[in-house]
Amino acid sequence: MHLARDVDTTLSDARGCAQALQQEIAKVILGQERVIRLLTIATFARGHVLLEGDVGVGKTTLLRALARAIGGQFQRVEGTVDLMPGDLIYHAHLTESGKPRIDPGPLLAGGNDLSVFFFNEINRARPQVHSLLLRLMAERSITAYDREFKFPFLQVFADRNKVEREETFELPAAARDRFFMEIEVPMPVGEEDRRRLIFDPRFHDIDALVAEVREGVVDFKELPIVARAIQVGIRSSEALEAYTVALWEAVRRPNRHGIEIEGVDTNRLVLGGASPRGVSFLVRAARVRAWLEGRDMVVPEDLRDVFNEVMAHRIFLDPVYEFRREPIVRALCRAVFDKVAAP
Amino acid sequence: MPVRLFLALLAMFVTGEAAGQVRAIEVLGPRPFGYFIGDVIRLQVDVVLDEPFTLQAGSLPRPRPVTYWLDLKTVAVDDRGINGGLHRYRLALDYQIFYAPLEPRELAIPGFSVTATDGAHRVEANVPAWSFLMSPLREIMPRGTGDPVYLRNDTGPMILPVRRWLSLAIASGIASVLLLGLLAYNRAWWPFSTRRKRPFVQAVRAARRAFRSGSGAEAYRAGLLCLHRAFDATAGRAVLADDLSSFLKTAPAFRPLEPEIGRFFQASRRAFFGADARGAEADLPRTVLIDLGARLAEAERGLS
Repeated sequence: MHLARDVDTTLSDARGCAQALQQEIAKVILGQERVIRLLTIATFARGHVLLEGDVGVGKTTLLRALARAIGGQFQRVEGTVDLMPGDLIYHAHLTESGKPRIDPGPLLAGGNDLSVFFFNEINRARPQVHSLLLRLMAERSITAYDREFKFPFLQVFADRNKVEREETFELPAAARDRFFMEIEVPMPVGEEDRRRLIFDPRFHDIDALVAEVREGVVDFKELPIVARAIQVGIRSSEALEAYTVALWEAVRRPNRHGIEIEGVDTNRLVLGGASPRGVSFLVRAARVRAWLEGRDMVVPEDLRDVFNEVMAHRIFLDPVYEFRREPIVRALCRAVFDKVAAP
Repeated sequence: MPVRLFLALLAMFVTGEAAGQVRAIEVLGPRPFGYFIGDVIRLQVDVVLDEPFTLQAGSLPRPRPVTYWLDLKTVAVDDRGINGGLHRYRLALDYQIFYAPLEPRELAIPGFSVTATDGAHRVEANVPAWSFLMSPLREIMPRGTGDPVYLRNDTGPMILPVRRWLSLAIASGIASVLLLGLLAYNRAWWPFSTRRKRPFVQAVRAARRAFRSGSGAEAYRAGLLCLHRAFDATAGRAVLADDLSSFLKTAPAFRPLEPEIGRFFQASRRAFFGADARGAEADLPRTVLIDLGARLAEAERGLS
């Protein structure tokens, strides 16, 4: 009984913080309300995020603002073809006296308080780096200096360069599956927003802009507790469970659900993917969304709202269709929600 | 009545033993004269064998052109059974003649032989030739074209008076097509398959049935589901509570009922996803739900 009331108060208090978090970030990032909302969902679900989008749409600014608002340490690494796992952990250099010295690298520099780790252009880095990152994401720990370092508050954000293909290493399926969400950061569409971004000097000095964000809107040390409370406190009914399973089935076997996509043979479209982990992530994200909406139950709309971001990158298509992946997967997700009846 | 002539009797060219096995061969034909080009002659051949012997079907003549003027059209064998130690067969052979003689002339249908066997021995039974007299159709030098009756083409077929029947057939054909069209409309077959269905009319009926089946939460949920499916069918996709405004944009006939539809979706959300069917029923009692369904059914008639 006590526990239940505690969960309820925790949830309603934290909801106010989440609202404030979105408002704070929206102050400095224009025209990205949906991305901010999805990032908030990922933050309160403790999930790692793969960001996609053109160069210069403000991904780094967005993450810096987020990191400032939730507190803790922010670290950023640029993926390059010669980056090795050790470069993330250690910083090897010569001291003033000319002696070689190995200091903690980007991951270790902030200690346990590392809250946001941004890996820019992840597909430029080698598979060895990917595998280190996989472990970091899965276990929130790494081994360095012959002992284990834990990062209980860590959230990894990665950015994938989609424009260039030379000297890149495509993320393996297992790595993509471990990301909680893959969020597309679009160009701001509103003309007013675009004008302000171009002409308003406020948006030209990124450091000053990010400094406008109020610090510690959310306490990063509280996040794991709140996340657990959300997953416990938001109910999912039997009808919703049946609906989720039906969605999953429809994604894996679209032809059996009468889903038709123009120019696509749905019989051979989906090779695999949409893993059980993916579906559990989907429900996790839906719970957080329901909580942000002020509900204590998950409804199909919650699943639909986050479905693309959580599931699209986990669906593996026949290589014939891989080239047109984005429109096909989007059409598939839409068709799945059109066909599967709820409740 | 055809004249039957006894023409040939036993033919015994084989050894005495074999002769004992083929008892008799008899060729019976119609009259042996008065045939013209194109006539068909049916020969009947009676063969009598000693008991264990049987005719070999493979040795019988097959329908074929026998000579350039003679075709064998059909061959039929009638096994007349064993009687008094004798096995009797009757062959019926139809020959058609195409000979065009200039004057009456004797011709012969050639003979043939058939084989009989008792399993160990084989004997040949020779059927003799059959001669007949063939006549020309006209004289050697035709008299010319003076007489209009002489040697004319056949008259054309007479046309029967079917006008009435033809018009009746056309009329019934048109009537059938119309009736088929009516049936297709009634059954909503092509091209009427796109005819607007009335999902809410059916949904109200189904919901009433569901409510009659019980008073528990299950029955209430089943009733809600009926209306949900009607919304899905109207929109052509699954309609969720948040889709209400976009749904009303595509189906503006329902716009006046917006608050009630919103209430329905809230109650349904509570019943299915909040697992609180009782609370939902208090919000939206069954009578109100049926009433809403009836009003939706009325509104859907306004959809084009």
